[in-house]
Amino acid sequence: MTSDAIVLDETIHQSTRLRIMSMLVGQPDKDRLAYGFIRNTLDLTGGNLTTHLRKLEAAGYLDIIKDSQDSKPRTWIRMTPDGRRAFARYLANLEKALNWRPPR
Amino acid sequence: MERPDGGTPALTPEEGWSTIHRTLDRTRSSMYVAGTSTILLIWGAIVAIGFGSQYAVQTLAADFAADRPWYPGPLWGVLVVAGMVGSAAVGRQASRKIAVGMGMRSVGIRVFLFWLAILVATFLIPAAAGLWTGGEAATRIPYVAIGIVTLGYVLFGIMVRPILAVVGLGVAMAFYIPAYLVEYPSSAAVSAAAILAVCAISWAWIRRTGVL
Repeated sequence: MTSDAIVLDETIHQSTRLRIMSMLVGQPDKDRLAYGFIRNTLDLTGGNLTTHLRKLEAAGYLDIIKDSQDSKPRTWIRMTPDGRRAFARYLANLEKALNWRPPR
Repeated sequence: MERPDGGTPALTPEEGWSTIHRTLDRTRSSMYVAGTSTILLIWGAIVAIGFGSQYAVQTLAADFAADRPWYPGPLWGVLVVAGMVGSAAVGRQASRKIAVGMGMRSVGIRVFLFWLAILVATFLIPAAAGLWTGGEAATRIPYVAIGIVTLGYVLFGIMVRPILAVVGLGVAMAFYIPAYLVEYPSSAAVSAAAILAVCAISWAWIRRTGVL
């Protein structure tokens, strides 16, 4: 691997996690999305979504917040500032990869 | 190509790029349609009550209708305000279940203003066309109003989810076909039943398939 090799963040560059991160990055900084909304929009099972959320949480890219709304327990997902920076880096590298041409 | 951490195929950069765009678009449109199926049912019921009431007044209280030919104005005014309040409450409740923060609030305000503009147009355009002056011309008001509401559904559907454009066209057919084929006031009763049926079927289908 050369020093200018394009490296895509493996935590983000996976179909489901990329979709989760894309949903969250489209929201303003302090906004949070409901767990159920993410699950329904991405058409995932609860177990599948939870597995990927935990990986992203472990990387520090998002927070999983539990509280109650109208006396019902709710789970919310919010992107962290680290997550936004990681996604910006990922996008920059993705753009480089898209424009990359093999040397002649 | 398989990834070691989940067995799912690795994304190419092109797939990654299109995944991001599709997800952003899907998320945005899902936020815009929060509560739509219930709101659709509310308006189906309101329009059915409106036309059903007109039919009842024309057949059961013909003298009242003859003495007060302007009665559909206040009737629809009250129904539309009730529909707006009900829709805003349902939309707010639905949006609270999917997101918290400025983004969702801004979506809710935009959707409310879009439909408010459509409803204001259903009053102003017939007024500008001179239909509010009463007499025979006033009977054309529903023809114009339903056309404007259908345009709202089609525009919203094009921007957000095409199924809403189809529902709008269904509502239009449920009104216009009886209106042109059946004599008034019977046409009002048929339109009321047909519009309620279209909205109820759309509501049930949307809930069952989760298309919104």
